[in-house]
Amino acid sequence: MSAVGSDVPRVDGNAKVSGSAQYTADIELPGMLHAKALRSPHPHAKLVSVDVSKAAALPGVIAVVTRDDLEGLNPYYGAVVEDQPVLAMERVRCVGDVVAAVAAEEREIAEEAVELIEVEYEPLPAVFDVVEAAAPEAPIIHEERFETQAAIFREQLNLNAGGNVCSVFRAGDGDVDAGFAEADGIFENTYRMPPVQHGHIEPHVATAVWESPNRLVVHTPCQNAVGLQEQLARIFNLPESGVRVVVPHVGGGYGGKTHARLEPVTALLARKAGRPVQWVLTREEVFLTGRRYGGFVRMKTGFKRDGSLVAREVEVFYDLGAYALSGPANAKTGSYVASGPYRVPNRRLTTYAVYTNLPPAGPYRGVGVPHVAWAYESEMDRIARHLRMDPLELRLKNLLQEGDIFVTGESLVSVGISDCLRQAAAGIGWRGREEQADGATEGSLRRGKGLAVIMKSTTTPTASAASVRLNGDGSVMLLTSSTEMGQGVRTCLAQIVAEGLGFPVERVTVSAPDTDVTPYDKSTSSSRTTFHMGNAALRAAEEVRDQLLEAGARALEVDKADLELAATGVSVRGVPDRSLTIPQLLRVKYGDAVGSIFGSCNFQVKGGLDPKTGKGKAAAFWFFAACAAEVEVDAETGKVRVLDIATSVDVGKAINPLQCWLQNEGSMLEALGAAFFEEMVFEQGQPVNGTLLEYMLPSMEDHPERFQSLLVETPHPDGPFGAKGAGEAVIPAVAPAIGNAVANALGGVNITELPLRPERIVAALAERAAGASRDK
Amino acid sequence: MRHLITATVNGRERELSVKSNQTLLDVLRDDLRLKGTHEGCSVGVCGSCTVLVDGKPVSSCLMLASNAEGRDVLTIEGLSRDGNLDPVQQAFLDHQAFQCGFCTPGMIMAVKGLLNENPKPDQVEVRDYLSGNICRCGTYVEVMAAIEDLAAKGQ
Ligand code: FES
Ligand code: FES
Repeated sequence: MSAVGSDVPRVDGNAKVSGSAQYTADIELPGMLHAKALRSPHPHAKLVSVDVSKAAALPGVIAVVTRDDLEGLNPYYGAVVEDQPVLAMERVRCVGDVVAAVAAEEREIAEEAVELIEVEYEPLPAVFDVVEAAAPEAPIIHEERFETQAAIFREQLNLNAGGNVCSVFRAGDGDVDAGFAEADGIFENTYRMPPVQHGHIEPHVATAVWESPNRLVVHTPCQNAVGLQEQLARIFNLPESGVRVVVPHVGGGYGGKTHARLEPVTALLARKAGRPVQWVLTREEVFLTGRRYGGFVRMKTGFKRDGSLVAREVEVFYDLGAYALSGPANAKTGSYVASGPYRVPNRRLTTYAVYTNLPPAGPYRGVGVPHVAWAYESEMDRIARHLRMDPLELRLKNLLQEGDIFVTGESLVSVGISDCLRQAAAGIGWRGREEQADGATEGSLRRGKGLAVIMKSTTTPTASAASVRLNGDGSVMLLTSSTEMGQGVRTCLAQIVAEGLGFPVERVTVSAPDTDVTPYDKSTSSSRTTFHMGNAALRAAEEVRDQLLEAGARALEVDKADLELAATGVSVRGVPDRSLTIPQLLRVKYGDAVGSIFGSCNFQVKGGLDPKTGKGKAAAFWFFAACAAEVEVDAETGKVRVLDIATSVDVGKAINPLQCWLQNEGSMLEALGAAFFEEMVFEQGQPVNGTLLEYMLPSMEDHPERFQSLLVETPHPDGPFGAKGAGEAVIPAVAPAIGNAVANALGGVNITELPLRPERIVAALAERAAGASRDK
Repeated sequence: MRHLITATVNGRERELSVKSNQTLLDVLRDDLRLKGTHEGCSVGVCGSCTVLVDGKPVSSCLMLASNAEGRDVLTIEGLSRDGNLDPVQQAFLDHQAFQCGFCTPGMIMAVKGLLNENPKPDQVEVRDYLSGNICRCGTYVEVMAAIEDLAAKGQ
């Protein structure tokens, strides 16, 4: 059986079902202290004074840190712009900003000590709505403008766009005004998507210890070990090699653990205490630590009578919260796909990444794409209804095809999007034009179906490096900084290495990230790992394979091509007794039967966009996905039941089809939660539903009655075995498919703001009824 | 205030000195170092801290350790015997009923409790019983398949 393409069981399975898998909070170091933070109760305020004397005097308290402890360090950090202080400096910018932190012998002592810290604030005007925040008269959240350390961001983003606009990105084509002038119909609408939680069940947590003044060791469930290493090194004036980041098992990430969150404070506490410190966030703190960007979309679309799109103008505002993290890059990711996966000759697409006085957001599966997909796919159904066209046909008519030149100027390859859409539609029994008719009715129950398609880039340019080590016994180690957070990356990479060597998968062990040992990786995000790290791992494996074959060819005096490689060694094809074991091959290579054989690869994808023109190469690969849903809406109560839902993703090649299914199931459910009920509510910057008691995550009872995860495999010429990425592809398509199904069930009542709460549906119906009676 | 309690944990009788406000979860994790039971919310809604007390699933973050006096506590670590996985653990493996694995010990204990009470649950009963065990990775279909399998085999 070939390793690639089969449902190889998870390599971490036994540890996870037996309870022996070690997560960060399970680590106990000798002498370890527990941390607790004092957080700002104000959304925006000047920090006048912080008095920690009483806290520091409490027995059992070992260290208290404030802004004063950042003297001599580089207090600001950030993935794109360095705008976030380790601890609040001259002001706080959101509720939950960390003002001070305590390390104590026991958790309760740390909690008690935090209560004793005295802080004087001077409240400042604050702004919470993203559109208001972008206006020139809004209170300024970051007076100072921060530089970016990474040249790549300077070159590829329009930073410091003025006021609270952290960055702006524009993409476009053709002549938009002329396009609207030739349109037979124009629709113009606005859409809103609220902030939501990542909801990883494992809270953010970190353990830090200084082994010497020049040596920091951090354990954390981070999706980006190398990026964190770089940031910690900069904060503490250390060489990167002075920081060791180790990633134990990770209890879910979904983007929420991509960036430094609590590690800098934990490291600062450990430094002052001279002892190991562990900080586990409470769930309430997780709500103040990360979330998906809220978004506001203005969309104007011009179309012809035959359904072809002729012009589209889109403006998107992403609410970053108080700090940027990767927001500017994520807003860019939303910009060039803001007109959808469609041929639109004339378009003007602009995205703004905007600071507000809400807790910081950050990447969440799909980054900037769910916001725009919610808008453009809702629009497609409005247009279909208006033109009395089958929504499936309307989409197929406009969808991008293999070889099309995209708005970024690049030619698209591996474009299985039409297949995805057809497959998803067929999955729920789509019947063509009939679906446009109002759904079946029974009492107050109405049924309807909806579709959606999306495309998304993977972050580009980036690099991933890997090493493969072959031991004398024929076992293999892959050294990689890719984080296993549930998505099955260790299993998938083991399969790729096994395939590259021709070994059974069981021979291959995949490391966890440990920056002392594992080489560079951009990050485990953007569904990039199978493609990028997969390529690096495959090439590293092939290098090992080549060395073995070379040694074998030399010793057996045959051509390399005549040799076969297996986990036992090499043999001459068809002559199994002319063979050499791995130890014998080591002896041929090194003179002694000891040592190991290494292969390595730094896999680099070049590209990127010119921020002035929006042109270039946006993606190492594009992913395409579709969703189709059938719902039943109770027009009296507004309650919706999902009867059937099918997702389809073009994965290029499914390295492990079962893991693809699981990723798509998880994406579907997260998106379903956000479609129906998930929403972080703030009042004047204060969280209203900031615990899991008030903020519900989808449970087994919310799982749709029927679900299918379908795959399309359009091989990518540059992917390992043709593979692309899968992890986040489904997410942006789900809410619009459900929204369209609801609109279809209700005879064209479109709701533009998520989530589709029952009250919202009832209100929309009432509004239409009122409108209808007015029209009489 | 501390007091001594006696409880059976994973088949062994233990004498434990617990604080009056200490949860069973904290005693398991901090004092007994049974780290397989996880903490996700500490308010009884995520289910990742589920253990069995006298055979019934309990959110150990909500239960005071002192209430474990005289009772029989089973955690994920106590499920496998002599290196053999419990049938529920095996079914989770067979059906790949997990991804990140953080909710998994709690989910497995809840399934154990369900099957103790109702060896042949139907879909509606399963969904209802497990609605307090949240899996954000969304691996619900596979958990349901694992239960169906176990019920069919009469385990
Ligand atoms: S930690 Fe106990 S239910 Fe969540
Ligand atoms: S497996 Fe990740 S939360 Fe359930």
